[in-house]
Amino acid sequence: MKPQMITLHINGRTHYVALNPNLTLLVALRDLGYTDVKCGCEKGDCGACAVFLNGVAVNSCLVLAWQADEAEILTAAGLGTSEHPHPLQTAFSDAGAIQCGYCTPGMIISAKALLDQKPHPTDAEIRDAISGNLCRCTGYAQIIQAVQSAAEKMDAGGEG
Amino acid sequence: MEKQNFQVVGHVTPRKDGVARVTGQEKYTVDMTLPRMLYGRTVCSPYAHARIISVDTTAAEAMGAIVLTFKDIPQIRYNERIITVEWALHKDHYILADKVRRMGEPVVAVAAETEELAEKAARAVKVEYEPLRVLVDPIEAMKPGAEPLYETVMYGDKEIKVVNNIACTREVIEGDVDKAFAESDVFVEGTFKTHKIYHAQMEPKSVLCHPEPDGGITVWATTQSIHNTRIVLGQIFDIPLSKINVKRMAVGGTFGSSIQMNSVVPIGVALALKARRPVRLTLTREEDMHDHGRFGTDAHLKIGAKKDGTLTGIEMEMTADLGAHIIQGYSFLGVSIGWVVSLYRLPNVRYKGVGVYTNKAPGCAMQGYGNPQATLAVESLLDELAEKLGMDPLVLRLKNYVGLGMTFWGQGPMVRSIVWSDGVPELLGKGQEIIGWDRRENPNTKSGRFRRGIGLGRGFHTTSAGAPQPGDVIDFSGALVKVNQDGSVDVVSAMVDHGGGTWEAIAKLVAETLCVPLDKVNVVPSDTFSTGYDVCTHATRGTYAGGGAAVKVAEQVKKEIFETAAHYLNVQPDALKLRMDHEQDQAVIYVPSIPDKKMTLKQLASRTWSESWKTIAAVDSYRPTNCPPAYVTIFLEIEVDTWTGAVRTLRTALGVDCGTVVNPDGAVGQLEGGLSRGLGMALYEDNEWDNQGQLLSKGYWVDAKTPGIMESPALKDLNTHFADTYEPTGPFGAKGIGEAALNPVPAAYANAIYNAIGIRFYELPITPEKILGALMEQENIVKEGVH
Ligand code: FES
Ligand code: FES
Repeated sequence: MKPQMITLHINGRTHYVALNPNLTLLVALRDLGYTDVKCGCEKGDCGACAVFLNGVAVNSCLVLAWQADEAEILTAAGLGTSEHPHPLQTAFSDAGAIQCGYCTPGMIISAKALLDQKPHPTDAEIRDAISGNLCRCTGYAQIIQAVQSAAEKMDAGGEG
Repeated sequence: MEKQNFQVVGHVTPRKDGVARVTGQEKYTVDMTLPRMLYGRTVCSPYAHARIISVDTTAAEAMGAIVLTFKDIPQIRYNERIITVEWALHKDHYILADKVRRMGEPVVAVAAETEELAEKAARAVKVEYEPLRVLVDPIEAMKPGAEPLYETVMYGDKEIKVVNNIACTREVIEGDVDKAFAESDVFVEGTFKTHKIYHAQMEPKSVLCHPEPDGGITVWATTQSIHNTRIVLGQIFDIPLSKINVKRMAVGGTFGSSIQMNSVVPIGVALALKARRPVRLTLTREEDMHDHGRFGTDAHLKIGAKKDGTLTGIEMEMTADLGAHIIQGYSFLGVSIGWVVSLYRLPNVRYKGVGVYTNKAPGCAMQGYGNPQATLAVESLLDELAEKLGMDPLVLRLKNYVGLGMTFWGQGPMVRSIVWSDGVPELLGKGQEIIGWDRRENPNTKSGRFRRGIGLGRGFHTTSAGAPQPGDVIDFSGALVKVNQDGSVDVVSAMVDHGGGTWEAIAKLVAETLCVPLDKVNVVPSDTFSTGYDVCTHATRGTYAGGGAAVKVAEQVKKEIFETAAHYLNVQPDALKLRMDHEQDQAVIYVPSIPDKKMTLKQLASRTWSESWKTIAAVDSYRPTNCPPAYVTIFLEIEVDTWTGAVRTLRTALGVDCGTVVNPDGAVGQLEGGLSRGLGMALYEDNEWDNQGQLLSKGYWVDAKTPGIMESPALKDLNTHFADTYEPTGPFGAKGIGEAALNPVPAAYANAIYNAIGIRFYELPITPEKILGALMEQENIVKEGVH
């Protein structure tokens, strides 16, 4: 197996990397320092590794890095900064939707994917959208709450 | 100290680490890298029980990998959890297996330039095994003639023989059970079984090790105790502790799984020392699922009572499935009876606990440490007793519970203290009202496909393992508090935060003591070099003991602030007071009777820096002399679908008596998280093994049935509430919550399901299959009865 050159556009930055074709996008992103993309299981079970790949939320452990060649990738760190967090990030922090925080980046990606499609989601739609993300700490109720309150804020402020 | 109006404590404030966590900037051990770092992998056994005949590492070495086998490691048996004192510690574990006792046990370790190469090298290692008979059932394992897992283990510094795979036993006798039973009018008894379930913490266990030029080592590790990790490493590698530094990290949840030094830690250290380069080693999810789990239990309890509902005594026998290593089996046997006799007044006790080795994941602490198992049994039996006596289960509980002024076993028979604060009546009252207890109907009045039931589980957890006298558990914390030159405050503590907000609580308690605005008080990054000893974040002790240490030290700092300010203001130190000034965003030191005698803490700190040449600081240790119970009551309304066996949670009332509530939103989060994990334990989770010691889930998390968002009740139906109490021995009246939040949940489900369908389950999880099976049997019995 020979390394292959690929181009990854991550959070607005372009990286040219040589990678073995069997490496997952998760490993590629984390090796490049995007450790906000969390590794929970590497089997598609937990959703901690979720990122946007050309606007679609995927579990990056189930995508090979070369499949993302030339794609636009957005991770949770790319959604907002300490100074300007995304409304979902603010809502997660304010609503008590985080404890250990290990599931949080993936949760926020899944939640954003939902709000991109459905700005006014119902409780059932939120559950459906988050059903691929595990959280062992919170019991999920505050996560649902956070998504709802972010939706309201974004609606009022036109952000997102 | 008594109740007071707080400025910071009890207020909802934005979580300090919130921004880092939501923007993905928080670094966990698994995120750490170092220049020239090698990647570690282990060669894991494909058998659950086997002798290692030969190991051939030539091919791996030819690839340039660093390789460690059993003969390369220190030949020292250790116990990775040293919260228990040395004389009560069993040690049966080497860094790498001398013989394989569970599936996935690390036999050889490698390190290489890339993860891929490390994996290849690990696969190139040839190990020849002689498979032995696998023992997954503790009852089978105890039979004479069963294949022994161990010939001997260490107990303290003595080598002892292991007979019939029994790792440890413990007996407790109090009063006279025979006499008590002879005087009893009614008895309830049952055998309750719980399985070895998986912690399912989100962050896979990891370690990064950096060998230092002086022969020392720096370690970043997933752990609940940096100091205990350092001490065990010192013992194994014979390196002075002054050369071992363990960094305190954010952890992605633990639920008890990192109470011990994790198995990856000494392997990583050994690899790094051999390679003379940094090494990172992380368990895969599958390896993690074989690495640790809850203790499985099989307990028979018999409780006697008088006609008026007064409990008289208990007889209990329990077998605990320890798995392949003893991490804390002996103390587990002790606490298990402790939880029982601290739930209700049972003056006469006869108990025998047996801990048995099996070829499964080693059991370690998991939220509640035997308490959910014990509470399931006791709370189920109390409901049965109430039914026999025709009493309201709530009244029976109020009559017998261990409350104010009574003796309480915080951590087994050797850790006893007195209850000083008790919110139980209030919690039961509120919960009763929220859930509508009075409209609870008899199960035999229910029919149709969907049947609703209301159930109660009452419980508690010890807050810390503090006690007036020494016991078999070490419990104390340290803190260093210093005032910086701008009046802000650093708190240096070894206490780990699992995610529940322990650091937030500690910062709030110090801010309250020193009247410094919360954003100017920080619990700073720390390590074993910069902190005094802290035993571990376990036993629901974070806020109470870790916070207690910080408050003790902050009080000393306050004294020094007054003494130093007295000098500048030319007044008596005793005349000085502190207040928080929101306009100046500062603590102000002042004399109430003389308005112009005042200065801000910033002014004081700046003058002590330039004119008095000192730092206002203090450092000390703190051992709580008590281990107050954090009481929890869980009321549930559930609905059983009698066609599918599925249980839906409709409404809950989750109440806690945690004394003063330090982080109100964090406290709510603890209750909700506890419900979720308790629901998983009650209804779904089962890390099942086949007869060859392989996990049926094969390492797939979803198959271990960790609850997801679909099972979770909506926020509006949860109804969390707090008792209005004040714990006189706690910092500003606080106790803990943590483990208490889960302990009564499985019992509440069992009782609610009984109330819905009239069938009592004695074994967890209560799956749809079990419910359907039991319903069919019930139907047959009814039919037979009719004909
Ligand atoms: S790490 Fe990708 S789904 Fe768990
Ligand atoms: S906050 Fe810890 S796993 Fe979700």
